[in-house]
Amino acid sequence: MALESRAVSRVSDVTVDAEGVRARSRQEAVLDVFFDGRRILSFWLHRDGVRDGRGWLLAWPRTLHEFLDGTAEVRVVVTRTGQEVFRREVGFGSARGRVAVVNRNGQPISLDKYLKRVVAFENRSAEELQPLLDAIDEVIAALKDVGTEAFLAWGTLLGAHREGRVIGNDADADVAYVSRYTHPVDVIRESFRMQRQLVEHGYHITRYSALAFKVDVDEGDGVVRGLDVFGGFFMDGNLHLMGEIREPFEESWIHPLGTTTLEGRTFPAPADPDRVLEAMYGASWRVPDPAFHFAPPATTVRRLNGWFRGLRVGRAKWDRVYSRKQRPLPDEPSALAAWAAEREPSAATYVDLGCGRGADVLWMAARGVPSVGLDFQPRSYAEAAARGGQDAEFWRCNLLELRDVLPAGAELARRAGPRLLVARHLVDTLGPDARQHLWRLSRMILAGAGGGRLYLEFLARFGEDGYAKELHVKRRRTRALVAELEQAGATVVHRETIRVSDSPKSSKVGRMVVEWRREDG
Amino acid sequence: MAEQVRRNPVREAISLRRRIARLEAEVQECRALNIRLAELTDIVTELLLPVAARDEEKLAELLEKYRQSV
Repeated sequence: MALESRAVSRVSDVTVDAEGVRARSRQEAVLDVFFDGRRILSFWLHRDGVRDGRGWLLAWPRTLHEFLDGTAEVRVVVTRTGQEVFRREVGFGSARGRVAVVNRNGQPISLDKYLKRVVAFENRSAEELQPLLDAIDEVIAALKDVGTEAFLAWGTLLGAHREGRVIGNDADADVAYVSRYTHPVDVIRESFRMQRQLVEHGYHITRYSALAFKVDVDEGDGVVRGLDVFGGFFMDGNLHLMGEIREPFEESWIHPLGTTTLEGRTFPAPADPDRVLEAMYGASWRVPDPAFHFAPPATTVRRLNGWFRGLRVGRAKWDRVYSRKQRPLPDEPSALAAWAAEREPSAATYVDLGCGRGADVLWMAARGVPSVGLDFQPRSYAEAAARGGQDAEFWRCNLLELRDVLPAGAELARRAGPRLLVARHLVDTLGPDARQHLWRLSRMILAGAGGGRLYLEFLARFGEDGYAKELHVKRRRTRALVAELEQAGATVVHRETIRVSDSPKSSKVGRMVVEWRREDG
Repeated sequence: MAEQVRRNPVREAISLRRRIARLEAEVQECRALNIRLAELTDIVTELLLPVAARDEEKLAELLEKYRQSV
């Protein structure tokens, strides 16, 4: 969907109050909203608003609510023409001061095209931009070192090619490369190799998909900036580029790379930036649209999803959980860990699958059992890992990635047996794919000399005690889990259901003890 | 059965719609194999040599290095 480039939208009857922005326009229009002279958000009136009488209403997005207390001079401007269609002092809430839309560090923030809070470039000085440009240079050079020719992409390319500068409403920098390989398997393997080589060069990498990742660049003084690297490739005459493009394309429009200028510095660009930008933003890419949304055809989304995505399912929820302030790390073990330790006094290695904050790992290690905690989110166990101890290790392990699962299984199978595996409230957060990998991992670890057992605990019945919400888990049916485990070659040697409190409406957890016996095949 | 469906266009449309949905899901399942194949190939090519050489120490070292580079 793109705005008609010649259509001039006539926007009228604009009002702003504590509820939001109201306006009338027969044609779609992009509007910028300013508070005290600073742009706070931009939106498409029809796409993002709701019908309100004869006009449209954009209710203030939730991400803005906490700031709306006080007074601001609100201006509404039609992005395309710069025409001011509203300017007035507007009062919000009961506070007497000016509305301050700033983050915890006092930096001015605005909302991006998806209404997420960002520190946009327009709120940063020219000096503040230098570290970003240095970081782009560094990442492109690092990629070149590992044999990949990267170029500016997405909003960064758009800004450079259209205006020679970063786009004011943008907040990060993107680079991309187009592989010489032409099959999804080969481009994924290449991406894995690039990751490994960048890690060897000392970079920290976070993978988004099998064809895109983030490189953290240390800007000094503890400031770490993440730059996104998007992979692409040609197949069947189409350029595929993460995360939105599949278009008929000539290779000569990408390679050999040319250059472009960003904030006075030279960076690599695709051979024909016009064509690339048209593939990225449509034919109207020359017209600034701070509220642009990508809308690739379903066939493109299905292909890119099917080939490359699915490695981060459920991640956002746990990122939110662990970005909050945490309670003190408990010194006492969980009831499950204590019970399992009592039943397995000869355990020589303890493995906590989905260890979360890692309190049980520290507790077992303190009892003299070498212990390893596995979790996909390193932030979860950061405090426990810092407290550490010789016998407590923490590994990042994403159950959706075989490159994590199989080597972890192989390494842990070599640790001293018998091994005690504990997965507390893990199966009740995982989907079926991740559970299959969990069974495979457990089976591998327990196949090592000395064997061992897996202890599971999961929500078996919802109560009215908020237990499920507190632990962010879903109910699992015991019978279905048993069937799944048996299918995976396991034997459930013990199972029970326990109330989590004395309340009559208590939630119940299921517990299982699981073995993989040699004769189970 | 096929005869009946053919005679009733509404039923045929519904049946085809369901069949397309199933086929789409199956195509996605096949596409997802690309990641699995790439992961397995990566692991095998990185770790198989020391296994073949039965070099125990080298294997332990490589396993740890591989895990930490993912």
